[in-house]
Amino acid sequence: MAQRSLFAKLWDAHVVEELPGGNALVFMDLVVAHEITTPPGALAIEKQFDDKLYDPKRIVAMIDHVAPAKDGATALQAQTVRVWAKRHGIAFHDIGDNGICHVIVPERGYVAPGMTVCCGDSHTCTLGAFGTFSLGIGSTAQAGAMLAGCLVLQRPKVMRVNVTGRLGNGATAKDLALTVIATIGFRGGTGHVLEYTGEAIEALTMEQRMTLCNMAIEAGATTGLIAADATTAAYLAQTPLAPAGWRAERADPDATYDAEVTIDASRIRPMVSWGTNPGECAPVDGVVPHDAPAASLAYMDLRPGQVLAEVAMDQAFIGSCTNARISDLRAAAEVFRGRRVSIPTIVTPGSQAVRRQAEREGLHDIFQDAGALWTHSSCGPCLGMSMGVLAPGMRCISSSNRNFPGRMGDGGRVHLAAPAVVAASAILGRIASPAELTREAVLA
Amino acid sequence: MIVSGQILAIERANIDTDQIIPARHLTRLDDSGMGEHCFEGLTGGAALLASRPNAKILVTGENFGCGSSREHAAWALVQRGFRAVIAPSFARIFEENAYNNGLVPIKLPQAVVDALAKTDRIEIDVAAETLRPLDGATIAFTLDPLRKAFILGGGYLPFLASKLHAVRAWEAAR
Repeated sequence: MAQRSLFAKLWDAHVVEELPGGNALVFMDLVVAHEITTPPGALAIEKQFDDKLYDPKRIVAMIDHVAPAKDGATALQAQTVRVWAKRHGIAFHDIGDNGICHVIVPERGYVAPGMTVCCGDSHTCTLGAFGTFSLGIGSTAQAGAMLAGCLVLQRPKVMRVNVTGRLGNGATAKDLALTVIATIGFRGGTGHVLEYTGEAIEALTMEQRMTLCNMAIEAGATTGLIAADATTAAYLAQTPLAPAGWRAERADPDATYDAEVTIDASRIRPMVSWGTNPGECAPVDGVVPHDAPAASLAYMDLRPGQVLAEVAMDQAFIGSCTNARISDLRAAAEVFRGRRVSIPTIVTPGSQAVRRQAEREGLHDIFQDAGALWTHSSCGPCLGMSMGVLAPGMRCISSSNRNFPGRMGDGGRVHLAAPAVVAASAILGRIASPAELTREAVLA
Repeated sequence: MIVSGQILAIERANIDTDQIIPARHLTRLDDSGMGEHCFEGLTGGAALLASRPNAKILVTGENFGCGSSREHAAWALVQRGFRAVIAPSFARIFEENAYNNGLVPIKLPQAVVDALAKTDRIEIDVAAETLRPLDGATIAFTLDPLRKAFILGGGYLPFLASKLHAVRAWEAAR
């Protein structure tokens, strides 16, 4: 047999039937269901297919985006999923035990290497960090997976993203993720799975791998993917469900890829986005590029050559499925410790379990001593739904994943960065790297 | 199946699903009520729609529908009266959602899309995979043959339901 990529092995192991036009019926080991995108499909199955699910044990549901409900409409969404999950005996995480699905599913151990996972949520690619084929889909496709256990998918191509060297210079997995998107382009991954390999990837913790895979969709990719190893096994062993019996697949040594790109991790520095998609980013101590698209700059009210460290912020947000796990909160707390924020700052843990762990470590005191708002878990303002939505013209530095026009609120402007950069910017009220604060402390 | 009507040209790349339908509207239990919010997040969106109130065919830039998986974007376009979108490329999830909702996603080279954006009306023969601007030459395009059948035939969920026994047999033999 030909030498295969890791993705090819996962795909081949789940194809139920080849279909016309390069499509296949692909078995889904797990369907993740949240309150925003699940109700239309659940109700369609109830009305048209006698409420029969393929296998309720292959579904996990939670209240995720708006927790608790902010109004009658979101309460009805939550109640619909709650009642539906109970009726079918589906594992369910209600408010109090809630969190962002891409945080809860791995932290509880619902996922194991070799699985396929889908969810009506584009950031489902996060779980590729565990050597799973996991992808975001629409509500109808999710309904199909709940009804018949499968998705109809076009077989994607595979792009190997080989990351050599080691991250240094204060750079994090977020900075690597932004660098990958800037390198291959905002739509450079479309039609491809990004299979990450190399020394820098092997050195990442599971939380860092999740941050990296989380943003594969921001390059248009079907998903990101990292081979499971001892780091994966150690992480899963300490989860409540502690999945066992899985086998770590790897790419064959001479596997061929449809495309390959190499990135030197040692050259990456802390990044911040200046434009209206995540690929439009630059080093924090850099400038807005001279060839930046006019439309992006008009929306962001920036000019070519502008020094990024001079751009003043109105709000800071640490949260989202990209960067709200315990290690992200620790990194932010390290910057906040003994300092005060100068702009409104919101810290939203990725799950209630993360929140409790942070409080055990006293991180909540550090955030609140610094003057930040410490909240319960929710998707919050990342997608402009609740808990910190921007007004037109407001500028927010955010640890989230999308800086699209209006993403965090109509007319709002978003600058993406790693948690430590967001924290430093919250203190100085402008785009800033943690290194600036360290320098100040030394000079004082 | 023939789709014939006025076009609306929005010649911008990377129109994401937040611009097609902002997240604040994703609070319904079903697919209803999206049309009135179509392109609410797009700068100048309301004026563009008002300029061609009866448009059935959207002609737009590459990477249309990128970002969020929200099927609400396809629902909003369909409920606003669109039956086809012509662009150089689509984001994967949006393209799947379009097919699953009878919205024909037509991929053509940038130069062809640029020329179509200058036309007024287009007639699309979905089954034949051809389109023709008023007083123009016929242009061929290619659809996914399986998903085209979802549009012309019974749809995505009935197809999946028809595979249920095959899937159970596969899983039992796994």
